[in-house]
Amino acid sequence: MVSTYMPKTLAEALQIRHDAGARPFAGGTDLMVAYKRGEGTEPVFPWPIMLLEKVDELKGIAKDEKGNVVIGALEISAHIATDPLVPWHVRQAASRMGAISLRNQATIGGNIGNASPKGDLPATLILLDASVVLASVRGERTMKVDDFIQGAKKTQLADDEIIKAVVIPPPPKLFTYLWYRKIGTRRANAISKLSLSAAITLAKDGTIEDFRASSGAAGPKVERSRVVEETIIGRNIKDVKDFLPSFLDAYDKVISPHAMPEYRRHVTRNMLERFLSECAKRPTCTIIE
Amino acid sequence: MKEKDIADPIRRVDAIAKSTGKQKYLADYHVDGMIYGRLVRSTIPRGKIKEIHLPVMPEGYWFVSAKDIPPEGKNELWMIQKDWKCFAEGEVRYVGETIGILCGPSRDVLADLLSEIKIDYEEEVPAISIEEGLACKGGAFVGKDNIFCDMTTHSGEDIDAVFQKADRIFEETYRTGFQEHVHLEPNGAMCMEENGKFVILASAQCPFYIRKSISGLLGLKPEDIIVRQTTTGGAFGGKEHFPDVLCGPLLVACNKIHKPIQMEFDRSEDTCFSVKRHPSRTIIKTALDKKGNILGMDIDVVYNVGGYLSCSFVVLQRGVFHATGCYAIPSTRIRGRGVATNTFPSDAFRGFGAPQTLFAIERHMCHLATFLGVDALALKEKYLLKKDSQTNTMGKIFEDVKLPEMIKKLTDASDYYRKVKEYRPGCMKGIGLSLYNHGGAFTGNGEQVLIKAHCKLHKSKDGSVEILIGSTEMGQGFQTECRKIVSKILGIPIGKTIYENPDTSKVVDSGPTAASRSTMIVGKLVEEAAREMLPRYAREEDFTVETVYKHPEGFPWDQEHFVGDAYIAYGWGAAVVEVEVDPITYEVKTTGIWVCHDVGHPLDELVVHGQVNGGVIQSLGYASMEKMENKKGFFKQDSLSDYVIPTSMDFPKMESYLVENPYPFGPFGAKGMGELVFNGADAAYAEAVSKAIDRPITEIPVPPETIEELMEHGN
Amino acid sequence: METKISFVLNGKQVSLVTDPMRRLLDVLRDDFGLTGTKEGCGEGECGACSVLKDGLLVTSCLVPVGAADGSDILTIEGLSATKRGKCLADAFADGGAVQCGFCIPGMMMAADFLLMGNPHPSEEEIRIGISGNLCRCTGYDLIVASIKLASERGNGLW
Repeated sequence: MVSTYMPKTLAEALQIRHDAGARPFAGGTDLMVAYKRGEGTEPVFPWPIMLLEKVDELKGIAKDEKGNVVIGALEISAHIATDPLVPWHVRQAASRMGAISLRNQATIGGNIGNASPKGDLPATLILLDASVVLASVRGERTMKVDDFIQGAKKTQLADDEIIKAVVIPPPPKLFTYLWYRKIGTRRANAISKLSLSAAITLAKDGTIEDFRASSGAAGPKVERSRVVEETIIGRNIKDVKDFLPSFLDAYDKVISPHAMPEYRRHVTRNMLERFLSECAKRPTCTIIE
Repeated sequence: MKEKDIADPIRRVDAIAKSTGKQKYLADYHVDGMIYGRLVRSTIPRGKIKEIHLPVMPEGYWFVSAKDIPPEGKNELWMIQKDWKCFAEGEVRYVGETIGILCGPSRDVLADLLSEIKIDYEEEVPAISIEEGLACKGGAFVGKDNIFCDMTTHSGEDIDAVFQKADRIFEETYRTGFQEHVHLEPNGAMCMEENGKFVILASAQCPFYIRKSISGLLGLKPEDIIVRQTTTGGAFGGKEHFPDVLCGPLLVACNKIHKPIQMEFDRSEDTCFSVKRHPSRTIIKTALDKKGNILGMDIDVVYNVGGYLSCSFVVLQRGVFHATGCYAIPSTRIRGRGVATNTFPSDAFRGFGAPQTLFAIERHMCHLATFLGVDALALKEKYLLKKDSQTNTMGKIFEDVKLPEMIKKLTDASDYYRKVKEYRPGCMKGIGLSLYNHGGAFTGNGEQVLIKAHCKLHKSKDGSVEILIGSTEMGQGFQTECRKIVSKILGIPIGKTIYENPDTSKVVDSGPTAASRSTMIVGKLVEEAAREMLPRYAREEDFTVETVYKHPEGFPWDQEHFVGDAYIAYGWGAAVVEVEVDPITYEVKTTGIWVCHDVGHPLDELVVHGQVNGGVIQSLGYASMEKMENKKGFFKQDSLSDYVIPTSMDFPKMESYLVENPYPFGPFGAKGMGELVFNGADAAYAEAVSKAIDRPITEIPVPPETIEELMEHGN
Repeated sequence: METKISFVLNGKQVSLVTDPMRRLLDVLRDDFGLTGTKEGCGEGECGACSVLKDGLLVTSCLVPVGAADGSDILTIEGLSATKRGKCLADAFADGGAVQCGFCIPGMMMAADFLLMGNPHPSEEEIRIGISGNLCRCTGYDLIVASIKLASERGNGLW
């Protein structure tokens, strides 16, 4: 039986992480499933466990002086889904994670730390150039979520680090139109089969000032390419019919689904086409469906 | 008591205990000195066991296997045949076959021990799909040709002659996949000793089946073992024969260790290592004359049985008898085969073989209509079975077939005709209608010859009447319905009636709780017993009445050649499903469900309503999302996050209708309904989606990725 | 590694010394004999193990008992003893929501959680509210209708 720690402060947690190598345990919705052993049994973990439930410094949703939204790693997705400070895309993803009870237990820190290719939050965080703050007894460092998650279940978390918070910067220009769609295995309580998060900023005359798109569950990690995005920045949205085909082809190379590749590629194209075509109509509603 | 119709709903007798959490299920029982069991299973689909390397067993822990079956016992589970072994000995036929059982006081330690057991196998090439089984991939392992069972029915003119003179022929192949029961309560059982006898507690449909199946393991007679059903959290056929697979090892272990042993499957064990619905391949060939009239159908049905027979021959028979669905086809030949493969054996599942062939015939009639350039519903109506129609076993339909009335009800309620015209094929909206039926109770004279159901009622001094039958409540409301029957006939309050979960030492064998026979057959026996009790009730203090099933005269059946009246009566159903397909994601939104059933007469409207809702949603799950793939012997979808069943958000509220058609031999006119309600919504869904995307659909399930494939490639 | 863990269980202060990584589900069922909470899947998918933890609906098969330290836990047994629990149980019984019953304790907890946040939900809102609770017997329609019935009868209870 391995040791279980229940620190009360962040400092205590960091010390335990350093001394005992205890694995950070937040909501447990991934770890308890991954290591379960059968009816009426206790999960068996190969490392000591550190329950972070009581560490209040890991909670909270606030805006800092620079306008960044800072979400504590231990915030549950139920809170994230409804807090008005949280950007729209992230709220969308949080509100569709699993089911009600899962959202009452699963945390943003756990979702990022688990780095499942099908995880819901990372695609929206990567879209918004969010960063993770990693804390250890050595201090803190910050890195982009897109760099932190390296692949399926692989992150850059050092052995003595804990994810402390997620920092979401405001976009340089306000988005004009937003898109989020998660396709699950059914209409509720579903694991993601595919997701697309997208956002666009249009000048009054239709010039695309910013465009972003990220795909979830379409490869070993969230797929996003600034290079491909930039191919349409500067174009005018009314020319969408002209640039769409080559853009879709270019985006197709960005994603790398292992399973159901045809479905995932085709539906991603459909969603991107839908988003951009609707944007070209300059609707009054910010949210494109 | 006020004269109310029996159909008037009452509060179910078990509702409050269940909604307050007070009702105990198998895993909630704790007995002094109880230890736990965990099955050790094969991890290869086919081969020979060379050696089992056990870890050192701590004090109080045991590994029990075939070697622990006493000399007077036999290593077999007697389901229909005795082919399913209790413990694999030498050969293994599928992933998950039981090799042994670990027993001990801590489930955590058992999990440790399980992970430490290493088994050396000599692996052989497995056959997984129907085609691989038929081709005897890796060599036949059942007989010479991997065929467990092979049967053919005929009706009308010689089919080969019919096809000779046909003007045109339309042929198509239909497939259905595995379906997992997902009863919310996993499989579970317990074995202990009481007063020198072995006692089994089980979450099970058929306590009498269990004692018959496992008593031979110790060289005992069935009546030497007491089986008590515990309140069962769902079954759907998954607990009809399958509990034997838990109870056999528990009995052998209890005989060795002499402690009470409890075993409850974890959900992943239940998903991977329990019986499923048989995957099927049905080929229908229709002979047409110059005018497009159907002259005959030649149908080939193959079910993927898996490693052992279980009750697959009976499932196959029902599949064959339902292969022409609700239609009177002039000439038929229907061949059915059950093929052996190295997959977990398939077994009973609501519908019991009928859903697979009913799906096929419904798709066939729709595609045949397209082939002929006629309206699908009009084509179906032209060939509807009627009273006195001949069946495909050369029997007769004895009842009024209310399908025309049911079709009218549903087409009116759903505005079907307008929508079918308005929703042009490929417009991404579609509406589909299906017709289905289900023969009530055991085939032919099975009730008379095989089952011989008994019913016993006992009146006590205090005026209460106990129903002592072997039928089980698994959620379908049978305990409530029987108590209503007794209460109504004797004129006593329902609180004065008793119907406990059966204990085989206290009740009579009423046959299995399956085949939609409980209401029709056993309910009738309960009614007869109550009527017999009525004149004596007031004057006698304490007495028992027993009734025995008598098959009505005039329904001949030849079980050897499958000729005659396979069923005396049928339940009938119609379903309309309307869908919208998202052109971007290919996800389907079901926008309307309308269903109508003929169950004779409902014994409780609310119970029937609930059963209809449940069966229809389960059928829609089967059609839309319940994908269960077997890759090289392993089920790919091994948890509830991967094997998805409908949630409350997946389908809208349905509109449900009943038509009255009292059945003279059923209690208060009731017929069977438990399985009927599963048999048709899947085909209506498939038709609706097919029309919406303007592609033929011949296989289910049809999830979004399959819809995308169909739209892109057409097949 | 045994630790003393204390929490309020159905209104009563309790404590036990046990391994904090044991599942709350097993502690409730085995240590406190509260078998109303069921294990249907052990992976948080089916909702049969639902309890309220500090007023939030959670799946107890995923909660290590150590995380319940200092919490307020309500199980089906606790809910059933309240006026609103009785209202729900009666509505479920009268509305035909109960068939095999295995999903029902979890459905009751989900219904209570829903009604606490929204005492008069629409049918759509009820369907969302129980979307994390799987039922294989009922097809959900009568469960939804029963929760509506409870919300109508139970004016002022939530």
